[in-house]
Amino acid sequence: MSAIDVVSIGLIAIGALFFIAGSVGVLRFPDVYTRLHALTKADNLGLGFVVLGLALRADSAVVIAKLAVTWALVVVAGATAGPLVAEAARTSGVHPWRRSK
Amino acid sequence: MPESSKESPAIIIRRLLERAAVFAAVWWVVAEADPESWLFGAPFVLLATVASLKLTPSRGWRIRPLGALRYAAFFVHQSVAGGFDVALRAVRPSLPLDPEVLRYGLRLEPEHARVLLADTISLLPGTLSSGIEEDTLTMHVLDVSLPVAESMRAVEERVADLFGLDLCDTGGGIEACAIDEGGAER
Repeated sequence: MSAIDVVSIGLIAIGALFFIAGSVGVLRFPDVYTRLHALTKADNLGLGFVVLGLALRADSAVVIAKLAVTWALVVVAGATAGPLVAEAARTSGVHPWRRSK
Repeated sequence: MPESSKESPAIIIRRLLERAAVFAAVWWVVAEADPESWLFGAPFVLLATVASLKLTPSRGWRIRPLGALRYAAFFVHQSVAGGFDVALRAVRPSLPLDPEVLRYGLRLEPEHARVLLADTISLLPGTLSSGIEEDTLTMHVLDVSLPVAESMRAVEERVADLFGLDLCDTGGGIEACAIDEGGAER
């Protein structure tokens, strides 16, 4: 295994950890708003690490560009969908969860 | 929606070609430059161009290259922080959340800049936009102890820099949302 393989696998594993943390957040967080935080932010970062790891193993520049475009499209989709779902929840009167004090 | 028919055909054709070129470039990259893929790609590039012209006939904004670089650097740094923050909150046994709905007085005026601001803050630590009404952005915050006002002003400055816009003197402040259940009544 070359050094690049080690770094690549390491980055992909870190990415997977963020996907797991994001999914744990969706399960553990108490309401739609907090879950949206977990989904959008953790997946964006997780995919970023996976894309970096895969880019190290790419055979050609166009594959690297494809990975970058894929990441960019997912980020834009997440950043757009998150606020839209949050707005729909708010305007339809979904109460945000509060820590009882 | 502005009437695109008032504009000269030359401008419309130029706009059409520009957007078609962008969509074609995206397809070319996604299809890994395979020539045969145009059989599928070309119709969708055309559809995407038509949809884009229908939805936003006129762009009406410019991006400043240096501002874009500064925005990108800021975004990468802050969105990494955002991912770490929420991942740690998700896995810590104490589930450290103290959410609040806050309102931010916008200093950016143009619609496109406000939309980019709302999208951007949704990937930064602890903030999630939940709509813009008048000059106020409503957001859900994961933890009220986060320095939300400072970070909102910083993002707004980066977005203004990206589009080459000036910020209003008013706004830039945070207040708690009076109505718990959100803005349905407002």
